[in-house]
Amino acid sequence: MKETIFLKMRHRIQVQPNATIRVGDVAQVVANKRIDDIVKTPIYTVQKKDRNIVIIDVMHVMKALMAVAPHDDIQSLGPSQTIVEVVYEKKRWGYLYVPIVWLLLFIGSGLAIMNFHEDVSMQQVQQRLYRVITGKEVDKPLWFQIPYSLGLGIGMILFFNHFFKKRINEEPSPLEVEMFQYQQSLDQYVIMHENKEAMRRMDDDS
Amino acid sequence: MIREFIVAFVGLAGGLAVGSGFVAFLTVLGVIPRLTQLTKTMKWIATYEWGVVLGAVVSSWMSLRDPLFSFPPILASAIGLFSGVFVGMLAAALTEVLNVFPILAKRLGIDEQIVVLLMAMVLGKVAGSLFHWIYFVNQ
Repeated sequence: MKETIFLKMRHRIQVQPNATIRVGDVAQVVANKRIDDIVKTPIYTVQKKDRNIVIIDVMHVMKALMAVAPHDDIQSLGPSQTIVEVVYEKKRWGYLYVPIVWLLLFIGSGLAIMNFHEDVSMQQVQQRLYRVITGKEVDKPLWFQIPYSLGLGIGMILFFNHFFKKRINEEPSPLEVEMFQYQQSLDQYVIMHENKEAMRRMDDDS
Repeated sequence: MIREFIVAFVGLAGGLAVGSGFVAFLTVLGVIPRLTQLTKTMKWIATYEWGVVLGAVVSSWMSLRDPLFSFPPILASAIGLFSGVFVGMLAAALTEVLNVFPILAKRLGIDEQIVVLLMAMVLGKVAGSLFHWIYFVNQ
């Protein structure tokens, strides 16, 4: 009797170097019988030359499943490929750079805000504003300027919706959305460019 | 008479250009939607628009006429805090538009600790600003 196997490719998985990728790793499978056989079917072994990213196309999985269950009907749902990320030994030197980058951002943004203040003649504007409000002529209107400086930080934190680890409300911050979009663009790029099945070049004789 | 009319027309045209530019800038940076999203007051957005417009008009009037009040300095502090928050939000929006953080965090492989980088920027801005007003302006 003809059975139907439902297949849904996962979006992104992580594997060890030299791992063998099986159907169950890259896809969720629903079937009436022999589900263990199907899930354990190997499709690909990660090699050195694959570097960081391998794309497993759904057609590849189909081919493997046809061998195991030649008489069954295979239905694929969802994305048509899985991004396999080969995780080599976690690079620790990344964290060495953090203090340097931190200092870079700290000093750089401080300098940038000073340049901005000079550029728009903030000192004169604030002196005048202080005179308008209080009626007194002051060289350094610190009563205005110190709250202003603290407000600068509060404004940035408000915008990004993060107060150190704590968040102000449930919604994702623009930064997280931005990270997500950037990751999606990267994924889209590797799907198009690393997927041998999706590309066919004129000079590709093999 | 005709001369005054031409001057008034040039003034109106200049104001129109600057005003629409200001609004366009605010729109691109998306500070107002962000504020309504944080406070969940989307239906007050028209009121906020009027706040921006009136703020711009009142401030340009004040900067042109130079009136004098005698409020206590604490009011200056309150206004300073508010203007600081506004400029901070503009600065944050600008870095977001430029996509600095996602690329930086990705390159360093520290996607989870991105808040640390954010705090570097926030503290840098506060420290730079305080340094500027308290020390640098004397030099």
